[in-house]
Amino acid sequence: MSNGSAATTRDAVRELILVLADSKRLLGMRYAGWILGAPELEAGIAAASMAQDEWGHGRLLYALLKEFGDDVTAIEHEREPDAYASMDCLDDPPADWPGLVALNVLADGALSAQFEALRESSHAPLRQRVAKLLDEERFHSAHGVAWFRRLAGGGDATRNALAAAVRAVLPAVLQWFGPDSDRARMLVAEGIVDAAGSALRDRFVGGIAPLLDGVGVRAGFAGTFDGFDEARRRANPAGPDGAVIAQVRGDKNRVFLLD
Amino acid sequence: MAYQRVYEVFARKSRGEPLRHIGNLNAPDDELARVYAFDTYDEEKWFDMFVVDRANFHEVFNRGDADEAASGVLMAGG
Repeated sequence: MSNGSAATTRDAVRELILVLADSKRLLGMRYAGWILGAPELEAGIAAASMAQDEWGHGRLLYALLKEFGDDVTAIEHEREPDAYASMDCLDDPPADWPGLVALNVLADGALSAQFEALRESSHAPLRQRVAKLLDEERFHSAHGVAWFRRLAGGGDATRNALAAAVRAVLPAVLQWFGPDSDRARMLVAEGIVDAAGSALRDRFVGGIAPLLDGVGVRAGFAGTFDGFDEARRRANPAGPDGAVIAQVRGDKNRVFLLD
Repeated sequence: MAYQRVYEVFARKSRGEPLRHIGNLNAPDDELARVYAFDTYDEEKWFDMFVVDRANFHEVFNRGDADEAASGVLMAGG
């Protein structure tokens, strides 16, 4: 390995951590949006619990950036939307409860598939945190799957709403795994992940395909990577809307922080 | 929403300890009952946790009225 490619691996790991942290931060906001107004009280409690988990995971991941020389406080509180590396599908709040269930299964599920690929990572700080994080994610997955089956088994209107929500989110989620690029090959070759690009996408698709069958959606990827930013794992460069970023940064609360 | 059942939630702090009744919740099926129990009651660090559909509680006996009347008398007397 030349020094050049070693540095590139380090950059790629840093960028991957930021992708995961920012996505968890935004996903937490999307869960939080349903603490009130979920179809049943217990589902609202579940949304609150999942939101807190995601934010906890986000903070844990941001903290890992310190060893890369990053100012973690600046990363958490000072970036503009166009610096965010969160998943495209989390840019806007889900329109309805089926929309949240689709994010639960697809976006949260894709993030967990990415963490599964990091279980034996050669990057020790990540590897040491993955098992506990995935253990906490078990109930997110159980929640998503149970609600998905429940809505899919409901009346036509409910099933159609879920199918529409899945179709709206799925292409961006599948694209999120990225192309079979030099970067993907390098991350696998260096043992950072055990799969990347299409191999990881296929693994994820294998897991969700039976569920998606229930609403008549086939989980194949037919998209392209035109305009896809591999570092941020995003197609839309603008990032989430400014209001939600101001909220996740805690802009209005900064004045209350005491040193 | 669909038909709801009531689930009773039980947990214990350590292996071998008797199960403690810690609450109940509404859920449409066992799968979501497990998720909701975890999300609602895992603030404390339990060793294990169970949900039971209230429909699966089979009464052996219920001294109900007689007991309440007796305790009422005791309390009034004490």
